Amino acid sequence: MAGGFSRSNIGGLLAKQGILIAFVIFMIGFTIANERFLAPENVMGVVRSSAILGVMALGVTFVVISGNLDLSVGSMMSFSTIVVLDLHDKIGPALAIPAMFAMTLCLGAFIGFLVGYLKLNSLIVTLGMLSAIHGLTLTYSGGKNMDIADKDGTWFAVFGQSSALGIPVPILIFGLLAAVLGMVLAKTPFGRKVYAVGGNGVAATFSGIRRARVVFTCYLLSAFCVATAGLIQASRSLGSQNTVGQGLELEVLAAVILGGASLLGGSGTIFKTIVGVLILGFIQNGLLLVGLQFYAQYVVTWVIIILAVWLDIAAKRGRLLSPIA
Amino acid sequence: MKIRTMITLSTAMAGLAFASSASAAEYRIGITQNNVGVDSYQTTYDQSFKEAVEANDSVEAVVLDAGGDVARQIAQIEDLIQQQVQAIIIWPTNGEAVIPAVRKAKNAGIPVIVTNSNIAEAGFDFVKSFSGPDNITQGSRSAEIMCDKFKEMGIETTAQVVQISGQPGYTTAIERQKGFDDRLPEVCPDVTVLETQPGDWNREKSQKVMEAFLVKYDKIDGVYAGDDNMGVGALNAAKAAGREGIIFVGATNFAVGYEAMEKGEYWGSIYQSPVDDAKAALKTAIDVLDGKEVPFLNYFDTPKITQDNMSNFTKPVF
Repeated sequence: MAGGFSRSNIGGLLAKQGILIAFVIFMIGFTIANERFLAPENVMGVVRSSAILGVMALGVTFVVISGNLDLSVGSMMSFSTIVVLDLHDKIGPALAIPAMFAMTLCLGAFIGFLVGYLKLNSLIVTLGMLSAIHGLTLTYSGGKNMDIADKDGTWFAVFGQSSALGIPVPILIFGLLAAVLGMVLAKTPFGRKVYAVGGNGVAATFSGIRRARVVFTCYLLSAFCVATAGLIQASRSLGSQNTVGQGLELEVLAAVILGGASLLGGSGTIFKTIVGVLILGFIQNGLLLVGLQFYAQYVVTWVIIILAVWLDIAAKRGRLLSPIA
Repeated sequence: MKIRTMITLSTAMAGLAFASSASAAEYRIGITQNNVGVDSYQTTYDQSFKEAVEANDSVEAVVLDAGGDVARQIAQIEDLIQQQVQAIIIWPTNGEAVIPAVRKAKNAGIPVIVTNSNIAEAGFDFVKSFSGPDNITQGSRSAEIMCDKFKEMGIETTAQVVQISGQPGYTTAIERQKGFDDRLPEVCPDVTVLETQPGDWNREKSQKVMEAFLVKYDKIDGVYAGDDNMGVGALNAAKAAGREGIIFVGATNFAVGYEAMEKGEYWGSIYQSPVDDAKAALKTAIDVLDGKEVPFLNYFDTPKITQDNMSNFTKPVF
């Protein structure tokens, strides 16, 4: 290898964690621009509001590693938020939550069946489900905003608004789910199968892995994460529009890919997805604190993402330009 | 055999329809709406319009919905021309793309009334009247509500305000922001607008924006949000951060905004009722057909609502 730092130990670390280094650089940059950026209440606020995106990204990480896409998570999140808010007043929170999880898991199972067992193209299936679920949500709610009637007297607010041990509950849920799913992906046979299916599906089949079942389970996991995100969202604002999750599917996918998962499947980790989620969250917040006009923010967000991806790739190959270029 | 039955049936039905229309109403009005069911405002508008038609013996209406699709709306306008309705009310899915169809209606001698959001200026020649809210006035009224409150509190010389606007590029968002930005310095010249950022009509996004404002500015006395949904998002952020005494003013009073006003957490808004919106559109159409003089921009009133006068208003249904 001709590159400089890839030979040394530091080089090895850089190569593995390029995205983390990009993250640190941006954090330093934003801190110089506004010294309040790293104030504990700001950091806590950003992580808390990133938790919703983060929880969804955990599930999508599994789907992407298995070599598929999930573009339905945004409208699925709207669905679960609206459903749990509606049922909250009708059957009480204790029943509304499991009912909402069951309904969302059904959607996930349906997608998993189409992509896993019928082997339909996941892009087409989930893009279709994106609008189909949106339609379902609108039919369910009649287009009306859902609001919990008694906002002060319900314990339902605990998932989005309270804190335990000084840490906001959404962060705890995100952390716990990330730890469990991280273990599942890295340490269990199922996790290895997800990598195998995404890396080389044919080889996986010949190794005796049931591809369909693995893909199906990934979509179920994704739906579970979406339901959890919907729960946090609903609990956080105790009311919602029908379009609350609109556009989140692309942000989630951006976070997962930014974290280094390959769109072609077979690579990615939960830890890197978390870094991807945090980068997006801190960019959004940092640009607001700097006070750029919103149209400039759109452009700068793109520039930062491209820089991050470039740094990541450059660190991996040990040089800034592609060797074949 | 089968075909003959169908023809007989359809002729009979057409005859029936004709008979009923001939017997009942004086005016036949067609309406093509933007996207019923996509939000509570449009859903309520649809219901109210039908009820208003029901209540009026002299009109009957062909009520259509474009489902947010421009192509479908253009086809619906052409259908209405074919059906020879006497007036067409249109809630444009797109201010530009519907202009040729509107022109066609005008050329067929059918007056067109635009409702809720106006079409682009290039099409004004083909439109009889626009019936809807005046968003610039709404923005300036919000500025007045906020300024009056600051004066009451005695902080009109020092107050600092942040603004959360609607989705960039939306006429409603642009006009409300313009109304607010122009009017505030006239009534309260010493109040500073610290910063304006979009909340995209989205409560969660608006909450995030407000969180950043709260970190960035130690002193915020007022928040103006382009609608109550975003205003309540900002309120949630302030409550979570334990910042009290901020005056929240919104627009388009939603049920959540009304409730927050009842609790004393949210100061005021602009009352815009989809029921009034629908009734105004129908009335404009009838006035046109009656040959009355109708202003080109026929705004229906959207009054100020604050904690002080909210008892005069019923709680919004959306």
